[in-house]
Amino acid sequence: MATVTLTLNGDVRTASVPPETTLLRLLREEFGLTGSKLGCDVGDCGACTVIVDGKSVNSCLMLAVQADGRDVVTIEGLATMSRLHPLQQLFEDKGSLQCGFCGPGVIMSAKALLDENPDPSEQEIRDALAGNLCRCTGYSKMIEAIQAVARDGRGEPAKSAV
Amino acid sequence: MDRHDTEDKKSAVVERKTPGDALGEMLRAPAAAPLVPTPLETLVPEARQQTPAVRQRATRPDARLHGLGQTKYIDDMYFPGMLYAKIKRAGIASARVLRVDTSEAEKMPGVIAVVTGRDVPCNSFGPSLKDQPVLAGERVFHAGDGVAAVAAVTEQIAAEALEKITVEYEPLTPVLDPLVSLGLETPGVHAPSPNIYGHKVIKKGDVEKGFAASHRIFEASYRTQMVEHVPLEPHCSIAMWDANGRVTIYTTLGRITLGRADLARTLAVPMSRIRIIATVVGGNFGGKNEITTEPVVALLAKKTGRPVKCTYTRPEEFISSTTRHPIVMDYKTGVTKEGRILARTIRLVLEGGAYCSWSETTLAKACILSPGPYDIENIHAEAFVVYTNKTMTGAMRGFGAPQVCFAYESHMDDIAKALDIDPLEIRLRNALREGSLSPTGQQLQSVVVRDTLLQAAQRFGWSGDGAAS
Ligand code: FES
Ligand code: FES
Repeated sequence: MATVTLTLNGDVRTASVPPETTLLRLLREEFGLTGSKLGCDVGDCGACTVIVDGKSVNSCLMLAVQADGRDVVTIEGLATMSRLHPLQQLFEDKGSLQCGFCGPGVIMSAKALLDENPDPSEQEIRDALAGNLCRCTGYSKMIEAIQAVARDGRGEPAKSAV
Repeated sequence: MDRHDTEDKKSAVVERKTPGDALGEMLRAPAAAPLVPTPLETLVPEARQQTPAVRQRATRPDARLHGLGQTKYIDDMYFPGMLYAKIKRAGIASARVLRVDTSEAEKMPGVIAVVTGRDVPCNSFGPSLKDQPVLAGERVFHAGDGVAAVAAVTEQIAAEALEKITVEYEPLTPVLDPLVSLGLETPGVHAPSPNIYGHKVIKKGDVEKGFAASHRIFEASYRTQMVEHVPLEPHCSIAMWDANGRVTIYTTLGRITLGRADLARTLAVPMSRIRIIATVVGGNFGGKNEITTEPVVALLAKKTGRPVKCTYTRPEEFISSTTRHPIVMDYKTGVTKEGRILARTIRLVLEGGAYCSWSETTLAKACILSPGPYDIENIHAEAFVVYTNKTMTGAMRGFGAPQVCFAYESHMDDIAKALDIDPLEIRLRNALREGSLSPTGQQLQSVVVRDTLLQAAQRFGWSGDGAAS
């Protein structure tokens, strides 16, 4: 067993897991944070995306022990008791998700992008989502939502609804 | 004590390093115990309320939980004592199963039960033909067939146990091409049943007369490939039995009523003892329309007395779930100088793979739609579906319509080019009109093919020389 201590959504957490445990399984099975999804377990789909030390990461490709001492943010760490994260709000308003299975991963990739680059071009958004597969939506409404969040974040007036 | 008090207690035992966000608000979902209800309003759609639709942004009542990561898909569910199942895949396209030895796997610590085809009370099912085994019996029909399944305390142990199962096969020559399968001398995939297991003919007018009157006749053959639905969420099911012999199955299955009948058959349990709960589905596209792991987990749960879950791996999604039918499509079309179609014959050979699944529906729809949205007086369309030793095909969005669309529109472009007619123009000359008769003789109403084509051409600036301006 390996002991992992990490900062998870702001709290310091510890768990003892078999050394082959991935970060994704640590989150889902040890900490009960099932928002990060397992779509392929080999780094192809992005459904398991979380943010580790500010960078988006496929948590199925990272061992839990590699997250030791690091700062991990998952989809459960975005909203507060009274407020949705702007990405969550705009994904809802724009109807960006259908079945929703890819959603947490997409939102985490988008958050990592906006944290680093508050004014991304459409191409930069597409690049940031390149590792997130969505089988339902065709991505365009996700991109619209991310652009709207970026505009709001820069204090630009929101374009008319719809 | 309300929920928030409990949480405060909990958060007191973990060291809070940083405030939840810039405003210092508490994080909504603490790491230890994800919340289910939230003070955030959930969106409840008002029943029967008429809302304007066109030009409106559609929002979904489940959007909020999706965005929060709080939607509970089946893989997010756990039941006390739950075991994890894995299925050993044959890895050989066609073979006789001589011996399955599970003894080494059964000895492994953490392995609770193993089942093979012999343990299935009635080892065949299917939405129309009952040609699909739950786990291989005496024969393997495609490489994705399951030959044995293991239930263990962890997924890891179950996966390791599969390695310990040895299967002895007598390899047989597989049938891998639909056109070969069609041949009368080819051995039957499911001998003594013939390889052609579905057939449909549509006749309208007299094609010979139409060809005789034609200025030119064009012939072409088109093929499409196998396509997998790739839902982001893999197939999964969880089964548990109660003390009175009733089984509850949570599953990603879309057609639960049909699945219940298949389960009653395969488990030999009356339907009244089977309860199926369809979970929130992470993508279906037609690929989750019939049972896959459900009877396996039900048998393992019965054998162990514990809930058992089985989630497909991504490779299993590709090799052991249904796919879109590849079709070999032969077209022959007679036209006037002006490009008006006078006669068309079509032969479709659908590759069914190892099992029938939803082939009959696909066969019929592909055949009916194969002449295209064109007013053709003389049609002869014939479609076959054949077995091969490949991954089974089944329902997928469009049920055969996309394949034939690829063929008749490619054919149309070839004809337009050969006759030096604008591709839009040749379509306008042939498009179905109000009151036209469909290939099956149905009189069509509200026909807007021409308007749609014209509007589309205008929208993207079709210039008539084959390129958008
Ligand atoms: S589950 Fe991690 S990338 Fe698919
Ligand atoms: S919404 Fe279904 S996969 Fe993206």
